[in-house]
Amino acid sequence: MGKFIKWGLLALSLAVLATGWWLGLAWAPPDREMGDVQRIMYVHVPLQWAALVAMFINFVAAVSYMFKASWKLDATAESSAEVGLVLGTAGMITGAIWGRPTWGVYWSWDPRLTSQAIMLVAYTGYLVLRRFVEDPEKRATWSSVVAIIGAINLPIVWFSVRWWRSLHQVQSTPKTVDPEMTLALRVSAFGMLFITLWFLVARYRQALAERQAEVALPDALPSDLAAAGGANSSRVA
Amino acid sequence: MMTLSTQLLGLLAAAAPGQVGSGRIVGGWGYVWACYAITVAMLVLYAVSLWVRRPKAPTDAKE
Repeated sequence: MGKFIKWGLLALSLAVLATGWWLGLAWAPPDREMGDVQRIMYVHVPLQWAALVAMFINFVAAVSYMFKASWKLDATAESSAEVGLVLGTAGMITGAIWGRPTWGVYWSWDPRLTSQAIMLVAYTGYLVLRRFVEDPEKRATWSSVVAIIGAINLPIVWFSVRWWRSLHQVQSTPKTVDPEMTLALRVSAFGMLFITLWFLVARYRQALAERQAEVALPDALPSDLAAAGGANSSRVA
Repeated sequence: MMTLSTQLLGLLAAAAPGQVGSGRIVGGWGYVWACYAITVAMLVLYAVSLWVRRPKAPTDAKE
């Protein structure tokens, strides 16, 4: 199972993503108005979907941690926030590049772009907070609270194009685009989702190993905690 | 009655036939390749960072 996730999932991800991108770049028709520039959709949209999935996983792990403290849930939250931030940043960069030929500008303080920027700042803050708090239990609890507060923005990002008059277009549906575009987008999205899963597993293992090392080694804890009992003082499973 | 700006726009359009108002973006492959290249670079760099930070010992040894 370990080898399948390590190499099999990676190979599957790359194969599916390469197929989706080939379909998008060479097989799907150009857009009626945007022409070939619309082919950016097959990289931009999967990145944004995968980022939102990762950040939703972060929210679920944070809420779960508040009910049942567990290093596994904390590691899940940490890994999903980092992966979501990387994918969301790439999504924002590709969106800005797409904006230049279609809107005439790389950036506009449009509701979708602004809420997305706030989302990225919030998850950057979440990861910075985790760096600054040395006590693993306090870090897990405080970062869970930040994650839950930050997740309030996720539905705002998704629905902003419907709630406000926005420069950014409303989400397309299979009824509004060519079926060949839908297929290329779906294959690309699954490829990006598989890569996201692979990133999450790799980062989760790393985060869990760090938590276990911190709890196992009293030196890794702040001096007052180590003096009070160190490794055995942790109440987290 | 045509205003001065409308007359000017008409003159510009007449001076540049084929460059005005097709209603469809032409070209732009540079933007497309830039997006794909930046995404690939970011995914590869993040994968490398995960490999550099990988746990040295199996995590299940302490579970």
